[in-house]
Amino acid sequence: MLRHLYLLRRSYDKMVDSFYWITLDLIIWGITGLYFQQLTADSKQIIFMIISGVILWNITYRAQSDISLGLIEELWNWNLINLFVSPLTFIEWVVALVTLGVVKSIMSFLFGALVAFILYKVGIFFLSIHLLTFIILLLMTGWWLGFTVSAIVLRYGTRVQTLAWTLVWLISPLSAIYYPLSILPVWVQKIAIFVPTSYVFEQGRNLLYNGVVDYNKLLISFGLNILYLIASIFFLRNSFDSVLKKGLVKVF
Amino acid sequence: MDILEVKNLTKKFDKFAAVDNISFSLKEGEILGLLGPNGAGKTTTIQMLLGVLTPTKGTIAYFGKELHENREEILEKINFSSTYTNLPWNLTVKENLTFISYLYDIKERSDRIQEVIDNFRLKEILDQPLRELSSGQITRINLAKAFINDPKILLLDEPTASLDPEIAKFIRDFILKQRDEKKTSIVFTSHNMTEVEEVCDRILFINNGKIVADDTPDNLMKTIDETTVNLVIDKNNEKPLLDYTKHKNWEIKYEDRQYSIHLKEKEIAELLTFLSSKNIPYHEISIDKPGLEDYFLKIARKNKFREA
Repeated sequence: MLRHLYLLRRSYDKMVDSFYWITLDLIIWGITGLYFQQLTADSKQIIFMIISGVILWNITYRAQSDISLGLIEELWNWNLINLFVSPLTFIEWVVALVTLGVVKSIMSFLFGALVAFILYKVGIFFLSIHLLTFIILLLMTGWWLGFTVSAIVLRYGTRVQTLAWTLVWLISPLSAIYYPLSILPVWVQKIAIFVPTSYVFEQGRNLLYNGVVDYNKLLISFGLNILYLIASIFFLRNSFDSVLKKGLVKVF
Repeated sequence: MDILEVKNLTKKFDKFAAVDNISFSLKEGEILGLLGPNGAGKTTTIQMLLGVLTPTKGTIAYFGKELHENREEILEKINFSSTYTNLPWNLTVKENLTFISYLYDIKERSDRIQEVIDNFRLKEILDQPLRELSSGQITRINLAKAFINDPKILLLDEPTASLDPEIAKFIRDFILKQRDEKKTSIVFTSHNMTEVEEVCDRILFINNGKIVADDTPDNLMKTIDETTVNLVIDKNNEKPLLDYTKHKNWEIKYEDRQYSIHLKEKEIAELLTFLSSKNIPYHEISIDKPGLEDYFLKIARKNKFREA
């Protein structure tokens, strides 16, 4: 973890990754929200929905990409072997990547929340205690996506590294971040019930429009996340073992 | 006492055996050289010894304990440096040593970091990122990293590659000092035969994944019965010498006024007798003692012949 924190401190790229994109997203989506505000009656909720969608989705994106990029960074530096000739265990390494992802996600989240408040007077903390539940569920989704990408990168090397920036977006249309699930075609809705983030954003809107959160739905999201986490950890471990059969030095 | 014991170690990639049923041991305070041509299986062996490549068959035991079952406990006491791995390029020397030190259970961490900084003369470059350093400086940092946990066993793959002769000598002396003072055991690969002769107590010669020799450098060199005699003779006396070497099937080369004749050690007397019988005066005579390089070439030639 220390090695990545050192890098974060001086790497312009890493800073851009953590703060630039969320700011840019907030500006673009915020202006779009302001435009919708002029067109519709329940304007306040629309801008809140869009801005909170940007900030919350960023949590999943950051958690996923920080895990995957943590691995890719080691491959770029040919440093993976230095880590695993030390007493560091596979689990410790994974926990370090997850912790780093959490730290950076929270940093990015707080920064995004501040920018949203300054630019649009949108206070994400309006979601109160439910916000914590949403954040945990979104982080969990980021973790299993991160493990899945890392497992694939371990098997196929940096030639598939682009997955670290793209795979998470595959589930974004199914997550109903900026729109209700009900507007999607029925067959897509049937797929979306297997996507844990869809429950989070649906309940976010439920809270915004009706003032309530259906925790049974969030429990489904939690169950799905646990299931996918177990599967992704198993996949990652399996990929790591298969890499050890080829030799860790041959992964790049 | 054997602190590393390797038994029947085999690594197959599909049907190709990169390492083929090798067994050896390492004693406390011993420096063991792993030699062999490219692709012989040295690096594959080292990777298996480090636990970053799973063997197809065989066992590796450090301090009497099996590596696979006691990985963390064993890796705490060993370390490694190689030319084919890097430390993160964007971190400074100090940051690299600090983060690596946290991977090990090091008591008085900052003192230990300072010690390796002093030992490997890194003070002036401490705050520079690795990407700005020369390959020689990076090799020194890799070595500092390898000594950070004060290992009982050190695996060094070409440790002095890219170093200038003065620093390379300093590193060799440092390795020998560590062995003498701390009884550190070292597995050492290098293509620099003079260095291997100087540093290693014992040599494992690996070829085609098998151990073809396991002995001291002196004993291995004794198995070479060929040598080169260098002498200077007058150009007018060249013809009888050339005729004679041709007749004896000895290889002869002329360079810088000097003739170099490659023959068996026992044939030296025969050559000198011939020169004296023909009244061919010679001066500046020297005899090249066979070295490890000659042994290396002999094995490589044998291998090529077999392949042909």
